[in-house]
Amino acid sequence: MRARQLLIAVLAAFSAVALLALSGLVFGHGELLSILISGSVGSTFALEGTLLKSVPLLLTGLSVAIAFRAGVWNIGGEGQFLAGAMGAFLGARYGMIAALAASLIAGALWASIASALRLWRNAPEVLTTILLNFIAIHLLGYAVNGPLQEASGKYPQSDLASASLPASGELHAGIAIAVAAAIAAWFLLYRTAEGLRLRASGFNRSAAKWAGVNVNAQLVRAMAISGAMAGLAGGIELLGVTHRLFERVAAGYGYAGIAVALLAQLHPLGTIASSFFFGALTTGAGELQRTAGISSTVATFGQALVILVTIVFTRRKIA
Amino acid sequence: MTHALLSAIPLAIVASTPLLLAVLGELVVERAGMINLGIEGMMLTAAMTAVIAAQLTHSIALGFLAGILGAAIVGALFGLFAIRYAVDQIVTGTAIVLLAQGMTGYVYRELDLFYQPVPRMTFDPIVPLAWIVFPIVLALLLWRTRFGLRLRACGELPAAVTANGASVTTHRWIALAIESALTGIAGAYLSLALSSGFAENMVSGRGFIALSIVIFGRWKFRGALLGTAVFGIAAAAQYALQASGRGVPFHLLLAVPYVVTLLILCGIAGRVRAPESLGKT
Amino acid sequence: MRLSHVTKRFGANVAVNDVSLDFAPGEIVGLVCENGAGKTTLMAIAAGELAADEGSIEDRVPVAVVHQHFLLVSEFTIAENLALAMWGRDAGEIIRESGIELRDVRRRVADLSVGEKAKLELIKAIARRPRMLILDEPTSVLAPTEARELFDVMRRLAATGTTVIFISHKIPEVLEVATRIVVMRRGRIVVDGGTMSATELAEKMVERRSDSPVRPLVNTPRHVDSRPGSAGRTGESDLRLSDLRLSGLRVPLHPGEIVAIIGVAGNGQSELAASLRDSLRGRVAHIPEDRARDGLVAEMTIAENIALAERRWRPRAAEQRAAALIERFNIRAQSPLQRAGSLSGGNQQKVILARELERQPEIIIAAEPTRGLDIEATSFVHDELRDAAARGAAILLITSDLDEAFALGDAIHVIYRGTLSPRLTPDEAAVQAPGLMAGIA
Repeated sequence: MRARQLLIAVLAAFSAVALLALSGLVFGHGELLSILISGSVGSTFALEGTLLKSVPLLLTGLSVAIAFRAGVWNIGGEGQFLAGAMGAFLGARYGMIAALAASLIAGALWASIASALRLWRNAPEVLTTILLNFIAIHLLGYAVNGPLQEASGKYPQSDLASASLPASGELHAGIAIAVAAAIAAWFLLYRTAEGLRLRASGFNRSAAKWAGVNVNAQLVRAMAISGAMAGLAGGIELLGVTHRLFERVAAGYGYAGIAVALLAQLHPLGTIASSFFFGALTTGAGELQRTAGISSTVATFGQALVILVTIVFTRRKIA
Repeated sequence: MTHALLSAIPLAIVASTPLLLAVLGELVVERAGMINLGIEGMMLTAAMTAVIAAQLTHSIALGFLAGILGAAIVGALFGLFAIRYAVDQIVTGTAIVLLAQGMTGYVYRELDLFYQPVPRMTFDPIVPLAWIVFPIVLALLLWRTRFGLRLRACGELPAAVTANGASVTTHRWIALAIESALTGIAGAYLSLALSSGFAENMVSGRGFIALSIVIFGRWKFRGALLGTAVFGIAAAAQYALQASGRGVPFHLLLAVPYVVTLLILCGIAGRVRAPESLGKT
Repeated sequence: MRLSHVTKRFGANVAVNDVSLDFAPGEIVGLVCENGAGKTTLMAIAAGELAADEGSIEDRVPVAVVHQHFLLVSEFTIAENLALAMWGRDAGEIIRESGIELRDVRRRVADLSVGEKAKLELIKAIARRPRMLILDEPTSVLAPTEARELFDVMRRLAATGTTVIFISHKIPEVLEVATRIVVMRRGRIVVDGGTMSATELAEKMVERRSDSPVRPLVNTPRHVDSRPGSAGRTGESDLRLSDLRLSGLRVPLHPGEIVAIIGVAGNGQSELAASLRDSLRGRVAHIPEDRARDGLVAEMTIAENIALAERRWRPRAAEQRAAALIERFNIRAQSPLQRAGSLSGGNQQKVILARELERQPEIIIAAEPTRGLDIEATSFVHDELRDAAARGAAILLITSDLDEAFALGDAIHVIYRGTLSPRLTPDEAAVQAPGLMAGIA
């Protein structure tokens, strides 16, 4: 079973890249593949960029993996990421630890709006989480154009955050935090009773209910943990990379998390490798834009391809 | 304030026409048993292909046709995965949206024609079509014909359809085709009539809002019209507030449609009954 | 119509084995067999839905099948369901032609009683004007009076020359209405025609597994032995049913006692069980009615399923405990790490029982615990329930199997359209149950 999953993952990643290269050829950009590779892992500089991009992807991937495993459709990673970034910014004045904690809490709270609406009003979380993404984007827009705008008032961005993650050159401590989170997520899902109940609820909510699991409580907890992961992604990105808030700070990391999670077959440890792949794809796409003028949205295109190939070969229910 | 609100209503009706078309299309598809989150991507693609065609041919009509074609291609992709391969519809729909965003983003930067203004639309049949003709025709189709009966049965109990020798997949493909046509018109209208061309992410969540309205309207055409109207009026409040210069921050106003949609979703509470086989593969 | 030497295999399993049957117009053929004997496959072949691997079918006629599980769209009206099956004909006219009574075609199927739904399915089948009508376990959802009505319809149809095939495992009913008896066992025809007593038929239907004589499945009440262990216990667990759909009737349930709630399926039993599941806390065990959907998480292992009720998750300890339970409950599984979904129905039920009984529950709510199980698994489940009662548990048994209810129950309630009758002794129930189940007070 494990080997088959690995095979599917490799196949999906390979197919996506092949399709990208092929469409590059069709549109007259034969050098697409080579630029992707050299731009992502071809130099120390590129590798650094890839690693930096992998960190938020790892966490948003974890966010989706945990949610989907629990049978919860959390498509709100983008908004939870932003909530986490804003929370980290506000908490930064009390230090780095406070900032990180604030990002976890903010992400969890933002996600919990959706779970609350689901429990009280039966609102499907697949839609509410997406709507909350849009709301979060505009909240951020309001913040950086208004109350949180930098003192000089020139650009729609905030001042520098009061805290940051320890770093060595460009690489920051967030890498370690992210990997630790992946291990913690694995432990939670596969070594604790809570994780067993979460997975059971995801496979078969009805059977879990009959076995005595409080599926509503599971929903709330899964959503909160999932949101916290995405929020942490935002917090780390702020404290380690961007150091200030601006409108496009989430840059699609939330939605990319879906591709990361699916490629990893929803396995927390798998997201480590999966996020590296997508980090490379994103960094390479950036290089493509710089050198060949090809829009970096090919990365989004690549994510979509991976998702589609993965689900065709997996062919069963997502959880 | 009231005056501003009232005068904003006609504008709101016109402005929510793409949304309504999407709602109508999604309603047909969900009645047939599928959830198509990819409608956002279909509209986006249609918006782009419509502009491309209109710019190249200087014909608005051809632009609309191209819009339908663009939506149909993306819709066919959704159908390939959701019907033919029968994989999870929600994940597929999300992937379709990402695909469309990636594709349109790429094409947008490749072609120059997007920087020129589009030909103007002198005659606008779309609004009466969308608000009056299509709902009536579709309602008659779904509730007064054998095809419509079978299509609705596909969304409730597919086994009952196959037991009588009809094909569930055929009905779902046709539903998808209807949705593609409507969505194509919606996307084209958005870029050709309501805006002055294509812009990235111009659909701004209308697809997802459409899905919400379908639920709010209890999968009926009356509800679809009502829901879109409610949304449109709430959106009108946004314009009115903006125009009144009351000092409500611009960005917060942008969030109003989504908050309204959340409220709409809250309004359904526990008593909503979806088509029995909705989303089941 | 004639079937000659028809055989059908599914992989290694021979579902229909060299079956030859001659059907004549106007007969009522009672096909007696257990679940899994091959009747569904045979009838599918006769109806032309499935092709046989060997053998031939001559003189085919139009066949209509009324399946055990309804193929009705709940949200549609009666008229719409008929239109789905037969577009263009007026619903009222279809119903009149069938000779079966069903009023107001504008009602939604969801609002119909189970008996009316069965009638609608029958009308749908008859509307196709078949020369052969196959009824698959039609009385499983009918009250005794409704069953009688059905027999009248069958006789009337036969009189017009239609061949009626009545599949059932309830021997007394088959004896009452059939003109010819066919017994099927493990894909073969073992009896065709002739006269036999109920006991002899029952023996033919089932393979003897042990020395114990096979009891004929007749609906005569049993006298229940006094239950050991319950005498002298005080205290009761009251289940107050305050759900909207159910009357607020107190159901006293004493430790060591088995109370059976009987009724035709679809009269509120599922809602009752679900509402009990949601409202009762503490050491209560629930055995769900729909084993496939609600019983076990198919994708998880046996050990994981059993551990779901536990507080802690220790993979190794769980595996060992599951192995011990597999041993004790005689579950046919390769290992505790086997996927629960790959077990047979009977073994799945054993796993569910094992999981629930391991918690030493004070109350057990068991809904249709032996549905679809073979004789061996059924008696196993019955023994476990009796043992649990002997150990002091209070058991609420929700079942549509009257034999089971009378065999196990110390007291009986009848459920009809969401309301419970007052508590009855088995003797009282034997007299009143048929009427109560049909809604006649």
